[in-house]
Amino acid sequence: MRNSLIVALLGLMTIGAGSADAWAQGSERFRLGIFADAQSLDPIATSDNPSIWSQLLIYDTLIRPARDGTKLEPGLAESWTSNADGTEFVFKLRDAKFSDGTQVTVDDVIASLKRAQSDQSNWKRFFKPISRMEAVDARTVKIALDKPFTPLLNNLALFSAAILPAKQLQEKGASFFEKPIGSGPFMLKNWARGSKIELAANPNYWQKGKPSVKEVDIMVIGEDNSRVLQLQAGQIDAMINVPVNQIKSIASSGDITAKVAPVYRIDLVQLNTREKPLDNEKVRQALNYAIDKEGIIQGLLFGTGTPAVSSMPVMRYHNTALKPYPHDPEKAKALLKDAGLPDGFSMTMLVQSGDTTFQQVGAAIQANLQDVGVKTELQLIESGAQWDTTKSGKYQASLSYATSDTVDPDQLIGFTAVNPERADAFHTEWKSDRLNELYDKERVTADGPEREKMFQEMEQIVHDGSPFIFLYNKGATYAYRNNVEGFEVLPTSNWRLEDVVVK
Amino acid sequence: MIAGAGAARNPIDCDSMTLLLFLLRRIIQLIPALIGITIVAFLLLRVLPGDPASLLIGARGSEADVVMLRHQLGLDAPLWQQYLTFLGDVLNGSFGQSLVQRRPVALVIAERFSPTILLVVYATMLAVVITLPLATLSAVKRGSLIDLGIQAFFVAVMSMPTFWLGVLLILLFGIKVPLFPVAGYGQGFLDRLWHLFLPALVIALGTSALTIRSLRSSLIAVRSAEFVDTARSKGLSEGEVLRRHIMRNSLISTVSVLSVHTSWVIGGTVVIEAVFALPGMGNLLVTSVFSRDYPVVQGLTVVFALLVMLISVLTDLAYAAIDPRIRLQ
Repeated sequence: MRNSLIVALLGLMTIGAGSADAWAQGSERFRLGIFADAQSLDPIATSDNPSIWSQLLIYDTLIRPARDGTKLEPGLAESWTSNADGTEFVFKLRDAKFSDGTQVTVDDVIASLKRAQSDQSNWKRFFKPISRMEAVDARTVKIALDKPFTPLLNNLALFSAAILPAKQLQEKGASFFEKPIGSGPFMLKNWARGSKIELAANPNYWQKGKPSVKEVDIMVIGEDNSRVLQLQAGQIDAMINVPVNQIKSIASSGDITAKVAPVYRIDLVQLNTREKPLDNEKVRQALNYAIDKEGIIQGLLFGTGTPAVSSMPVMRYHNTALKPYPHDPEKAKALLKDAGLPDGFSMTMLVQSGDTTFQQVGAAIQANLQDVGVKTELQLIESGAQWDTTKSGKYQASLSYATSDTVDPDQLIGFTAVNPERADAFHTEWKSDRLNELYDKERVTADGPEREKMFQEMEQIVHDGSPFIFLYNKGATYAYRNNVEGFEVLPTSNWRLEDVVVK
Repeated sequence: MIAGAGAARNPIDCDSMTLLLFLLRRIIQLIPALIGITIVAFLLLRVLPGDPASLLIGARGSEADVVMLRHQLGLDAPLWQQYLTFLGDVLNGSFGQSLVQRRPVALVIAERFSPTILLVVYATMLAVVITLPLATLSAVKRGSLIDLGIQAFFVAVMSMPTFWLGVLLILLFGIKVPLFPVAGYGQGFLDRLWHLFLPALVIALGTSALTIRSLRSSLIAVRSAEFVDTARSKGLSEGEVLRRHIMRNSLISTVSVLSVHTSWVIGGTVVIEAVFALPGMGNLLVTSVFSRDYPVVQGLTVVFALLVMLISVLTDLAYAAIDPRIRLQ
């Protein structure tokens, strides 16, 4: 028995040597390493990024964010118009087919959007303002609202507004998403859960000549270092989330390029304004002056971020006149003195456990605050528990972040600054009546300079009110082997693999 | 001491009734233990802060949306009712619906079952393959440079964290001398054995560090027993004495060590699965805990418990096979 095992082992080693060159093939297939598997391919039931990213490769939406994230561009709809007060939108569908060859119809659009606004949808709030949908003709659909709701167009560009084949969905029910069908550039070939999602080019894709690769494997490699090693070994062609301290070294071999993409993400410290002395605006501003953002970005993020001016990342309607709070400990001390706290105070800050960068940044903030007399105790907390703790209001400060799913700032301002709206200004309980008023107005004002002014004023109010310590906009890191062209992380954090070429 | 075990009849073959009764009794004993485990797993999850519904909806919905989702998922029912639902789901074999994937838990776990099992079995076999010759060599050449070398090597292995050892092996055999894939699970049985070699080796080295120690000291103790002298005086060759008398009588304690360690490894493959990107149950457990996917975590707890119990039954069978003086009762 022992002998046969040894023989088997030797056998294994030879097999190993034999198939070693089998991984080195290319051109037809693009292998991308990501950090977690998708949870589900049902667009109304998911909110984790791997699910969203996979869905965006398989399904189409009526309209979609342009590559640069500044505007919307045609998707399944080749054009659209709206009436003057923004209560009626008319979409003209292009001649597109699902991957099984059936035509994308107006009925599919209506059924998919109805599903997205139904009670089984986690995203219904984004589509609730739609009151009526009707087929004008075989290729034209009209979407009507009772009152204007400007963010709607952006919401229709969300993955959760994906257009699915209504009849098949109806027939198959939940099992449709085991082997879903869409009109996107790729179709699901096989899903080895926890391991990889294998996609094949959709032969019926409406963009002629795309995608250029025949197959895409999205490989799930949870460990950052393992992902880097696989890229170096050529077992994958590209990866996302390169550890920031390896951005330089990974590219040093000459056959790998590493990049940082600006994405809609803002890192901040939530300050619970229910608690003394954080209820005092001066104290919150003092904390902002106390932090050496540039130092943290250079020292801990290896330059992969930019200092933040507010709770909004740099995106559409950004207020470019605003400057980040400078690192000014003297000013911080003076403000604390004004607030009646010449000797500073003590507080506890929640920091997500299991994330090295968060823990390092937490320690840096602790040191910066110590310099102005604020003693901060770090309390490590698991990410799921962190959300519930801040939501319940039983905390003082919490190191966290927020991201935007859309290219319109409405989603993030609503989440981080409007109270109560969805989250009591990201659980800070901070409230500005003027900002709330602007938010209500912005949502019924058509896109243009007037709406831009409202957002810029809102950003100014958040900046001054400082319900957070504004830290930085952290970029998304990614890397690819040099035989890959056209792979990039978009501002919305996803990627368009139909443009990728593997040489 | 009674003379060795070599020529004895095998009690398993001769008395299948005893074996059957033994298995039946073990299964019956299992039931209360399993119920206890499900209660503990169920309650621990509910005590854990964090709520699946608000994690699913996150920043996208209001409190009202979260409340509605909690209701849809049945999380607003009283705890005893939720527990009974869970027990019912266990009995009908579905283990309930995953809150996140919205598919039957049995299916979710089944997809992740084989990498973990294959890894554990593979690692255990490798450990045996490593242990038997090295422990024997160590014992026979006690105090020699070889003995010291083997012991020093495994002390070093034991003191290294598994993820570190994993990354070292990847660097060595995946990148510098690319004999094995850096990570992944592969397709087809042989391809999987090839993919799993490094992770299995990492676990096997950790196991061997314990089993070599245990087997070496038993071998040394048994070598000086009187029945070994008797065997030698019968004229048996040294090799036969070693194989038939010394080894058999030394194995019992090593099998115990191996069994305890393997039970531990089953729950402890998490780190190795992460380093080598294996789609196993350890990985599933971690993601499910983070998303508070209660039914999946509960299901995995039951599966892990069953596996540990299975190992203990197999261990008892192994005892009986090695030493006929041990009876199955």
